[in-house]
Amino acid sequence: MFTTKSFIKKNKIGNFLKNVREHYIRDDIYCGIPTCNSCKEVSNSNLSEKHKNQCSLFKYNHYIILDTNIILDQIDVLEEPYICNVIILYTVLKEVKNRSLPIYKQLSAIIENPSRHFYVFINDHHKDTYLAESEGELINDYNDRCIRKACSWYISHLPKEHFVFITDDVNNRRLAIRENIPSYSITDYVKHIENNSLLEDKLSRKDHSNKEGVDVYPPHLSTGDLLNSIKEGILHQGTFRASKDNFLEGYVNVEGYKDPILLQGRSGLNRAVDGDIVAVQIFNKDEWICPSGIILEDEAVSGENIDDVEEKEKVLKESVPKNYEEIQPTGKVVGIIRRKWRQYCGILQGGTEGVYQLFVPADRCIPKIRIETRQAEFLKSQKFIVTIDSWPRHSRYPHGHFVRALGKIGSQETENEVVLLEHDIPHSQFSEDVLSCLPKLPWIITEDDVKKRVDLRGIDICSVDPPGCTDIDDALHCRPIDGGRLEVGVHIADVSHFIRPGTAIDIEAASRATTVYLVNKRIDMVPELLSSNLCSLRGGEERFAFSCVWEMDHDANILNTRFHKSIIKSKRAMTYEEAQLTIDDKTKTDSLAESLRNLNKLAKILKRRRLENGALVLASTEVKILMDSETMEPLDVEVKKMYETNSMVEEFMLLANISVAEKILQDFPDCAMLRRHPTPPAANFDPLVKAGKHLGFNIEIDTGKNLATSLDKACNKENPYLNTMLRMLATRCMLQAVYFASGTLQKNDYYHYGLAVPLYTHFTSPIRRYADIIVHRLLAVSCGSDSTYPDLLDKQKTTDLCQNLNYRNRMAQYAGRASVAFNIHLFFKGKLNDEEGYVLFVRKNALQILIPKYGLETTLYLVKKGENSTFEYDEENQSQRSGDVVLHAFDPVTVRLKLDSSNIQHEKFVLQLVKPVIPGFSVLPINELQESSEPNTAIEKKRKSDNFKTSKKNKSK
Amino acid sequence: MSLCDAEKTFILHGVKENFRVDGRDREGYRPIELETNIVQHAFGSARLRLANTDVLVAVKLEIDVPFPERPFEGKLEFFVDCSANATPDFEGRGGETLAAELANILTSAYRSPQTFNLKKLCILKGRKCWKICVDILILECGGNLFDAVSLAVKAALHNSQIPLIKSINIDGDNIELNVSDSVFDCEKLDVANAPVMVTVCKIGDQCIVDPSLAEEQCSVGSVVVAISQEYFSTVTSIGKGSLHPRTMCNSLELGQKVGIRLNKAFMETLHNIQPDEDVGFLK
Amino acid sequence: MSRKKELLSKVGLRLDGRRADELRRIRCKLGVFTQPDGSAYIEQGLTKVLAAVYGPHQVRSKQKAQHDTCIINTQFSMAVFSTNERKKRPRGDRKSTELSMHLQQALLAVIKTELYPWSQIDVYVEVLHADGGIYPACVNAATLAIIDAGIPIKEYVCACTASLGNNDVPMLDVSHQEEVIGGPTLTVAALPMSGKIVLMEMSQRFHLDHLPKVLDKALEGCKDIKAILDEAVKKHIQDIGSSTGWANTTS
Repeated sequence: MFTTKSFIKKNKIGNFLKNVREHYIRDDIYCGIPTCNSCKEVSNSNLSEKHKNQCSLFKYNHYIILDTNIILDQIDVLEEPYICNVIILYTVLKEVKNRSLPIYKQLSAIIENPSRHFYVFINDHHKDTYLAESEGELINDYNDRCIRKACSWYISHLPKEHFVFITDDVNNRRLAIRENIPSYSITDYVKHIENNSLLEDKLSRKDHSNKEGVDVYPPHLSTGDLLNSIKEGILHQGTFRASKDNFLEGYVNVEGYKDPILLQGRSGLNRAVDGDIVAVQIFNKDEWICPSGIILEDEAVSGENIDDVEEKEKVLKESVPKNYEEIQPTGKVVGIIRRKWRQYCGILQGGTEGVYQLFVPADRCIPKIRIETRQAEFLKSQKFIVTIDSWPRHSRYPHGHFVRALGKIGSQETENEVVLLEHDIPHSQFSEDVLSCLPKLPWIITEDDVKKRVDLRGIDICSVDPPGCTDIDDALHCRPIDGGRLEVGVHIADVSHFIRPGTAIDIEAASRATTVYLVNKRIDMVPELLSSNLCSLRGGEERFAFSCVWEMDHDANILNTRFHKSIIKSKRAMTYEEAQLTIDDKTKTDSLAESLRNLNKLAKILKRRRLENGALVLASTEVKILMDSETMEPLDVEVKKMYETNSMVEEFMLLANISVAEKILQDFPDCAMLRRHPTPPAANFDPLVKAGKHLGFNIEIDTGKNLATSLDKACNKENPYLNTMLRMLATRCMLQAVYFASGTLQKNDYYHYGLAVPLYTHFTSPIRRYADIIVHRLLAVSCGSDSTYPDLLDKQKTTDLCQNLNYRNRMAQYAGRASVAFNIHLFFKGKLNDEEGYVLFVRKNALQILIPKYGLETTLYLVKKGENSTFEYDEENQSQRSGDVVLHAFDPVTVRLKLDSSNIQHEKFVLQLVKPVIPGFSVLPINELQESSEPNTAIEKKRKSDNFKTSKKNKSK
Repeated sequence: MSLCDAEKTFILHGVKENFRVDGRDREGYRPIELETNIVQHAFGSARLRLANTDVLVAVKLEIDVPFPERPFEGKLEFFVDCSANATPDFEGRGGETLAAELANILTSAYRSPQTFNLKKLCILKGRKCWKICVDILILECGGNLFDAVSLAVKAALHNSQIPLIKSINIDGDNIELNVSDSVFDCEKLDVANAPVMVTVCKIGDQCIVDPSLAEEQCSVGSVVVAISQEYFSTVTSIGKGSLHPRTMCNSLELGQKVGIRLNKAFMETLHNIQPDEDVGFLK
Repeated sequence: MSRKKELLSKVGLRLDGRRADELRRIRCKLGVFTQPDGSAYIEQGLTKVLAAVYGPHQVRSKQKAQHDTCIINTQFSMAVFSTNERKKRPRGDRKSTELSMHLQQALLAVIKTELYPWSQIDVYVEVLHADGGIYPACVNAATLAIIDAGIPIKEYVCACTASLGNNDVPMLDVSHQEEVIGGPTLTVAALPMSGKIVLMEMSQRFHLDHLPKVLDKALEGCKDIKAILDEAVKKHIQDIGSSTGWANTTS
């Protein structure tokens, strides 16, 4: 009944500890088979005698026991509902968890799905299936032994039933067969499944029969050799980075060398894939070369032919400049320490027949992948996902298998999927577990709830949000109270009431961290029932809220702050526009309008005060894409409109956040979740200061306040957009604001630079941000309406959580931008427009152009390939001159915008200059293009006048 | 324990006659019981009972930086704790003097590279090495603590398993080491030359080894010799009283003779010791 | 976030394979040493504790002597190797001082101190392996050592821990692994026969609603432990009895 397990583990500070754990062996573990009479059923089993696994290898119904390697390698196959009635041994489950957390999660989801009939058998606590580890045995062998032991136990335990063991480990299979356990490889099994349709495509193939016998790559050293050599300093370890432009070049940064190690050619790269941790051997100094600097694309269409590579390698060798000053340490990959393979999005190369096809990943750093598929025709039109299974020596390309199709190339949905995948955004459906945490409908407020909360249903509360918003997490009220004061309340959806710590829904939300907004899609952090219904503070409905209520005087001075959970009934959910109209409409004098007006008045005071304190007004180009609701195609792009009410809501949210931050820090000095915005290092501001200097403005950056004032001063009447552009530049100098646990930093590091407040947190959007939920919980403890739980008070756990939140937030932001960018591309497809723009930066061979109308920033190349430039670059003044036209940063220009779709995976904008006119470079405006038959003189004249204008403008500066 | 004069005389006469109170001759040891691997979560451990002297030794490992003057060597440290279980005198800080004395003598006995190869403990030259922490817990004092401690330490070191380093990731100043988590992927330490200590106690005109608590009371002076194979690794005189140089030489000779014999017998036992189910204090 | 392990698996097993209401294996022995007046050794799971009792004897510092009762002097000490990460000092830190006091508190409740005026009893406990529930193991070991020393007691004093798994199910006898993973730990020292609580301590905040059921569980654990200790005492007496020939005369 008792044994111990020992293992060695590393602790936080890098010491090795020997841990001993107890391990109890029991006699009361249920085998899970419904027909079993000898086991006492203590837990439910999903296994079903009714379900039949359809496999032509067996004439009888059978239960399946899987080996770990099947789950790790073939999870894509298991996800399909073909293989059911599976017994997952606890040994296997643990191994999967150790090896790959994502796969473990996928597996757990399958196990919990009752229709799949999976059952977990706790074999290592069962008295008959527990085996002790023996000395000298590898952990894998031990696990295999345990698995086989469990298989044979099942067979002897229930002689009437049939059990099939599936493993791809040849050795394990051989041993199993010797022990009279029916065992098959997954390939055999899947092939014989009736109506398997495309299941075979999803098989990961690790068995590489080397028929050709030609090795394309040098061998890798064994792990042991690698480690020894690294230890001795013969080899070096680093992360491999493939070159974006040249598929035969890559770099590895290693310790001890300032420059990255250059790798060239097939033997140099030797099957390293971008991101892998590799061991490199560095050549002698006389063999060092410098990077070729040329662009090489892998143009091969079919599998294994290597002639063209050899050709290209020759080209590469020749193109390496013999410049001894720029030589870099050079070396070659001799082994892979750890693969960092993930799933890749991309398309099919096409152009060949047969089951072997090439897959072209969207990421240009990743090599093409050879896959085996029977649906090539279909895949040609699709974007899909592939994973790499292996890269044997004899194969030119890594071998992979098809995982799933994302959708038609170029369609909205497909692109959304790609954006989500590439930004690592969890977007699967909420699992059963998560959904089971939701409250049952109809949801009613009980007496008990009312007792615990402050009843604010009688107060005129309203919410103000953008149109079409369904996840309303904040509402406001303002009413006069005794003593000529105002009571202002910010009411935030009480999400933490529904999401209890440690539940599945909480864990899921913590992992998602934020709701992600794509142009036409929202990926919720919490299920819709909460986000758009029970938590959303909809007009006219009774909802739970967490209220932050201030007593203020008419000068917006806070006299008193209190926090409490409440029940509210929002009178109306307004849009910014409606709210604005209500305020402006003097005829409206109901209490709602009055309170909005008061709020607006207070907000203005608050804003003024904040700006005086040195808060920055930063600019970014946020655009809104109008979508056709039916075709889901972008109709128009517009810059988001701002009303006074936007700022009104924002001010009160800021105020609430600040008040809450103070409160939770006071009560939890060690583990409060706060948000800080670090002061950027002075060097970050260099581009801004330089740009300012060229325009004759002195941008002071020593403090936030000085920066704010100097930005305010930097205005030019002729170019009203200039100030905005400077602010945009300033935005880019900033660092990311991040969440942190208060105990991990010094107090003066809590500062929020952008808002110029010493303390800040996020409290006001718990529906779409997980940080707010944590803050809610902290605050709930502070005001005594809830209890804590261990993780909430754990500084380390909070820090870990913050890291995830920061990562997810960053990714969500990037994903949002990527989505906008894609839609703008879509919008411009087939269009040819002349647009007003501004020069943002002047580069050596290009101008960075900003088109405010679309919030678009693109590059205008001044030098065409193979041509000599007519432009002279003046680094000192940051300008480009061609003839008598001089282009400075921030100068307005007109450009022609066209989408180059020649590369379907990488569409990009091509710009052409329209104005100012530069002979031989600029193009005619579109409206004149149609009448290009017009005599040249007219253009000439126009050009002259243009030139005149430009030079005049230059003088005026 | 305090003895009256008559008792002392009795012991004295016994020693003179080479027939001690408990029936031993002057070079004889009391029975020794040894059990290894008794502390499961240590990398090595041993419990040694010499009559009713009871010592528990556990070996723990830490990752450390080698001394700059010896970049190729690991570290070995001794810590002695005298439990109050042994005698109320050790309560609080009462046992610290004795503990320090024991630790010092062990350190000096193991200092010579001939006694214990510290080079094997080096992981990465000048940057990472193992530090072996030998923790000695005195549970009961029945005389001749030094011998018992040295034997227990030797047994614990013999029992120790040093994990094999699987990989070293060097990232700037940050060195990450990894070992397999299996306790079987380990290396044994070589303790063939590890010193054994023999306390030679002068009672009357004679020298004896392995004094019992009562005999220690009658002693005029004692010398602790640490013998590594046939060499001395350290010699310390302890306790009150003074020794004549000739007596000193005699005691050294006796110590060496007994030490070599003891070491031989002990090594044999160590090699024959079988992994047994845990019995420990339940026996 | 998913690194957090579940204290109770879906099938109701704890990480080490126990069910929620099961104690760890307890093994114990009285009279392990010869020099002290009483000694005992106890294993609760992997937690191992040695206890030694000296006395009753004359009070060492005369000022402390009491005319009507005897002083119980306790010292708690942990071997430096007892924890997974090596400790720097075996005792003298605040935690061990606190545990010494708690141990004294538990023993004062049962020892018939009025029988030994002007004297002192020393109780020393030494933890050899700390794997959760150190205090209960110390109390239980001390009880056995006191019995071994032949000091009269009113009844056994036993201690046990309990925790709350998955925020809902009370779990008995918490191991170190479970302590680390989380959940509050309630430590109770009780007189199992009369059902009185001598000492109760909680490691973390947890909701008052859960307290009764966790406390019940811990008290149940104390009763179970008492039965095991009682068994060990009887066996010990039989052993020493038979060696002196008593058993033969009585049987």
